[in-house]
Amino acid sequence: MAEQATLEQKAPVADLNEVVTPHRDLMMDAWYRLTKNKGAVAGMIVIAAFILVAIFADKLSPHNPLQLNSGKDFLPPAFVEKGPNGKAGDSSFLFGTDTLGRDVFSRTIYGARVSMVVGIIPTAIIILIGTLVGLYSGYKGGWIDNLLMRFTDVVYAFPDLLFFIIVMISLRDTPIGTMLNGLFLLFLALAIVNWVGVARIVRGQVLSLREKEFVEAARSIGAKDSRIMFKHILPNSLSPIIITAATTVPGMIITEAILGYLGLGLIPSTNPQDFFLTSWGALLLDGQTAINGQPWALLFPAICVSLVVLAFTFVGDGLRDALDPRLQGTQ
Amino acid sequence: MRSKWFVVVSLLVLASFILGACAKAPAAPSQTLRVNLGSYPDTIDPQKSSFVNEIAHLKLMYEGLTRLDAKLETVPGAAEKWEYNSDATELTFTLRANLKYSDGSLLNAKRFEYSILRNIDPNTAGEYASITDDIAGAAEWRGADLAKATPEELAALKAAVKVQALDSKGNPCTGYDQKDCNTLKIGLKQPAPYFHTVMSLWVTYPAKQELIEQGGESWYVDPKFQLGNGPMVLSTLEPTVQGLFTPNNYYWRGTAKVNIEFRYITDSAVSFNAYKNGEFDIVPLAAEDLATVTQDATLNPEKMVYPGSCTYAFMFHQLKEPFTDQKVREAFAYGLDRAGWVTDVLKGLGSPTLTWIPKGFPGYDAQENRWGYDPAKAQEALAASSYGSADKLPEITATFSDTPRNRTRNEWLAAKYKEVLGIDIKLNPVEATTYTALTKDINTAPQMYILGWCADYPDPQNWLSVYWKTGGFGQRIGYSNPDLDAKLNEADSTVDPTKRMTLYAEAQKMLTDTAPVAFFWNNVNSYMVKPYVKGIQTTPMDSGWPGDIDPLSITIEK
Amino acid sequence: MTGYLAKRLLWLIPVILIVAGITFILMHNAPGGPWDRDLSSRQVDPTAQRLLNEFYGLNKPLWRQFTAYMVGDTNTRTGKWVCGLVCGNMGPSYRIRGMSVQQYLFNPPPNRSFLYSKFGYSIRLALLALAFAILIGLPMGVISALKQNTWIDYINLFIATVGISVPNFVIAIFLIIIFASTLHWVSIVPLSWDEFNVWILPSIVLGFGVLARTARLSRATMLEVMRQDYIRTARAKGLVERIVVVRHMIKNAMIPVVTYLGPALAGLITGSFIIETMFGFPGMGRAYVTAISQRDYSMIMGTTLIYAILVAVANLSVDFVYVLLDPRIKLTE
Repeated sequence: MAEQATLEQKAPVADLNEVVTPHRDLMMDAWYRLTKNKGAVAGMIVIAAFILVAIFADKLSPHNPLQLNSGKDFLPPAFVEKGPNGKAGDSSFLFGTDTLGRDVFSRTIYGARVSMVVGIIPTAIIILIGTLVGLYSGYKGGWIDNLLMRFTDVVYAFPDLLFFIIVMISLRDTPIGTMLNGLFLLFLALAIVNWVGVARIVRGQVLSLREKEFVEAARSIGAKDSRIMFKHILPNSLSPIIITAATTVPGMIITEAILGYLGLGLIPSTNPQDFFLTSWGALLLDGQTAINGQPWALLFPAICVSLVVLAFTFVGDGLRDALDPRLQGTQ
Repeated sequence: MRSKWFVVVSLLVLASFILGACAKAPAAPSQTLRVNLGSYPDTIDPQKSSFVNEIAHLKLMYEGLTRLDAKLETVPGAAEKWEYNSDATELTFTLRANLKYSDGSLLNAKRFEYSILRNIDPNTAGEYASITDDIAGAAEWRGADLAKATPEELAALKAAVKVQALDSKGNPCTGYDQKDCNTLKIGLKQPAPYFHTVMSLWVTYPAKQELIEQGGESWYVDPKFQLGNGPMVLSTLEPTVQGLFTPNNYYWRGTAKVNIEFRYITDSAVSFNAYKNGEFDIVPLAAEDLATVTQDATLNPEKMVYPGSCTYAFMFHQLKEPFTDQKVREAFAYGLDRAGWVTDVLKGLGSPTLTWIPKGFPGYDAQENRWGYDPAKAQEALAASSYGSADKLPEITATFSDTPRNRTRNEWLAAKYKEVLGIDIKLNPVEATTYTALTKDINTAPQMYILGWCADYPDPQNWLSVYWKTGGFGQRIGYSNPDLDAKLNEADSTVDPTKRMTLYAEAQKMLTDTAPVAFFWNNVNSYMVKPYVKGIQTTPMDSGWPGDIDPLSITIEK
Repeated sequence: MTGYLAKRLLWLIPVILIVAGITFILMHNAPGGPWDRDLSSRQVDPTAQRLLNEFYGLNKPLWRQFTAYMVGDTNTRTGKWVCGLVCGNMGPSYRIRGMSVQQYLFNPPPNRSFLYSKFGYSIRLALLALAFAILIGLPMGVISALKQNTWIDYINLFIATVGISVPNFVIAIFLIIIFASTLHWVSIVPLSWDEFNVWILPSIVLGFGVLARTARLSRATMLEVMRQDYIRTARAKGLVERIVVVRHMIKNAMIPVVTYLGPALAGLITGSFIIETMFGFPGMGRAYVTAISQRDYSMIMGTTLIYAILVAVANLSVDFVYVLLDPRIKLTE
């Protein structure tokens, strides 16, 4: 990686020598390799589709997801003639209805919003904090570095799930807890637990990079620390960061589903104008209690969660291959 | 190197195998009734328990001085008779002759004296000890400040509690082996003609003093210390796996015909599947599975749905806007579609009600029909209120304990009130324990929430006086009505049964007059019972499974 | 080596202290207390609540409760000194009256061995789940790497991805429906945990996630190792392929897998919550999750600290397995 970066700095010279080859920078190269990876492309398409679904949920869903349909509860999907509870599917409810006669299809569509946001926003926070801390502690060392390592020990010793539950319960009824229907607190809890891992990865990367010639060179011409960190070391540590980001997202989505299953996820809303109405975790929980009567209520959100996680995993793998050609096809 | 790995892995497998391979299983008599009770009990100590599943265990192992029969009438239990003095301030029990524990040892009145005193003892810190506070001196001893009181003061307080076991000559009993010690005299601090029913409750069950002391604080986990006088004997108790009970051959009413096995699967979907698979004889039936059962020709006759012992009401905080206004409360009561709730939300597992004491309990008022669902009247009442219309109401928040079931329920309610009254109700799910803590204090009690009350014993006193008298539970939503207090005090101390019931009936009407809360629905008990299980007698007050009122009558015929 | 060990163990003390402190603050910040039951149950009256608070010292200031938990305090009721965590006393459970947390978690039912305690059950299930994960996951990963980009590889990859992406309660309910309700191979609710076959479904459910990660990780590390020069050297000097794979590739590919499996085991021991609600398994996972909603303070502290210690021990043992696998590594810091 470092060698490539040094090459890049000599790029103008290389250009003069090899006029025929069009100029491609590192990221373009990676992008090219990524688009060659079928799994990753499929993953990206799925993710893009779900993001669109999430954004346009209100346009896409055939019913108001909060609309109760009296007497039409627990209907099986439209294509099923007779469900385990003896009811027949109704063509206006593609995936059937839940315990109160609400359209499962519309609710699943709305659930995409929470899952996408839960997957992406905390990851962004984690990456940001983790990278900054990792960069600084790896480059500067000293007490910051020591503190980070000791803090890591504590975070690792804390059981994740227990920490999430206790944070959600103890802060739920505070103003922080009710922000964004409780999602803010969830982001916070997820971020606290996970940023350390990123920080450690970045730190490790920085430790090996800071002894490299190009850093030495930059230092010798009197570059400031901040410039070395952000202009020289950071760009060269980007690939593990991006890979971590892609692999963190599925973890977040699953955690939300499990917390929803424990009844600690999103605070339900009664206002159809609200952005976050329900989450896949909450739907999974509803579905699981109704497994004998309306198994599809569990199946569809479960498929969606799996699909999104699968997509992110493929993209993550693809990114790894693309950014680190040595590891082509390893994960 | 592979061999090293192989060794590690096979060690893991082998370890797990060997660890699991030890033998066990006590020989079961002939037939065993397999009941899924749901969650495993925390504490199975008669004087410290209060949860339904804990009581289910205790009810099998022990029996009080009185007991309830299948019609919820109080009938003789360990005592063959009882009598009150003329003003119902003293209650005297006479025990059956030759009462025995399940090991054949003597059970005399001294045992009950010990249990009742242990329940009151502040050192026990029993969780439901307040239920016997009607005994003279009980509240004082229980409320003693243990940090400040000297041992002498405490001893004096204990001596002042009027519970005494007497022998045939009327002298205080001396010990647990005294055969003629068969009278128990209880002095009451005020007339309490219902108190013999309280003596049927689990808090008076006669666990043996010497075994409790021998077993230490957690004596109750070991079957050998759980020696009782009830229909069954605890034979094994494996936490969260299994509790097995065998018949008590010394039980005075006879010997049960089946063993009873409790299992503890909390997931309703799994439990229902296991029932269908023939692994359980009795399981609770969840609303989600009802439709599946109803349309299935084999399963449908196996469902057992019958009234329960709880009344749920929409509680309005009388001191918080807008429910300070009776018209607003009326509007919300009129606007409550109880029948729709029972069909749509409870899937038929419940029955709508407009009154506090449920059907099947003494004191039920079948005539009450005020504040029933009527959208037109609801809108009228809202218009007649001091607010005038829905948009002038302050923000209304329905608070509930955050479970998926409650979420759907409250989402339904909010949608309905929007439809009927045009009111936007904000939903505020809070974590279960937080919710309980909130509702316990008049200042933090939510503006509007659903709360139920379930009978401790079948007497209107437990429904009305315990709940609605000033200082009772009703005060948590700011309810305090001096007229009602006076009426209830009069009813509580009236000895004549007919007159007493009339007074309670008047009190209940008086309560409904101001629509303090919207009476909502009564729960039903719903279970699946295999067709070969015969002789199940159900009552609204079943603890955790149908038939626990009389395990003796249960047989299995397959 | 001993110096290193001592240092690591000593460092455990401040970590545990901090974990305990954070847990303590958070749990006491949650509204309500152990005597606030869920509302469908009977509630404790104010007098009983006062008595209970006095008995358990919950009426004392918070800092005093913390020191009482960690070090000890005199019981106001009996006037006797009750030693705290330093003596191995994890405090009384507030829900299971008369039982201490260590009794609850580590004491078996009467006449049973330690293995029948909640902790014992959890360890056994975790070991079985781990064995399942290693026995299936490792070969899956290795074969995938050796047969990269063939259909075997794709099937393995698919299974591994399902394991990572489907929540385990969903897997559990589907497995129950397939193997118990439909095929009747096993009973849904085990009659007794003394028979081996009833452990199969629970350990699959518990171990599936670890299996998936093991498979992915071992495939990745195998692929990396396969490109190393020493593998080429080994082949060049004419070693049999089997020996190259086993002695050179797998051995070296194992190191990152081991790093993952150590902490994973700690997670498996405490993570059987779902299995316990669904199969009625008598492990400690439920104690772990329900203690929070019940505000059973000492149970929360106890289970958290046990997890922390398990993680530490697991990490420590990982270091020792390293030495076994890679003679170049010396245990000094």
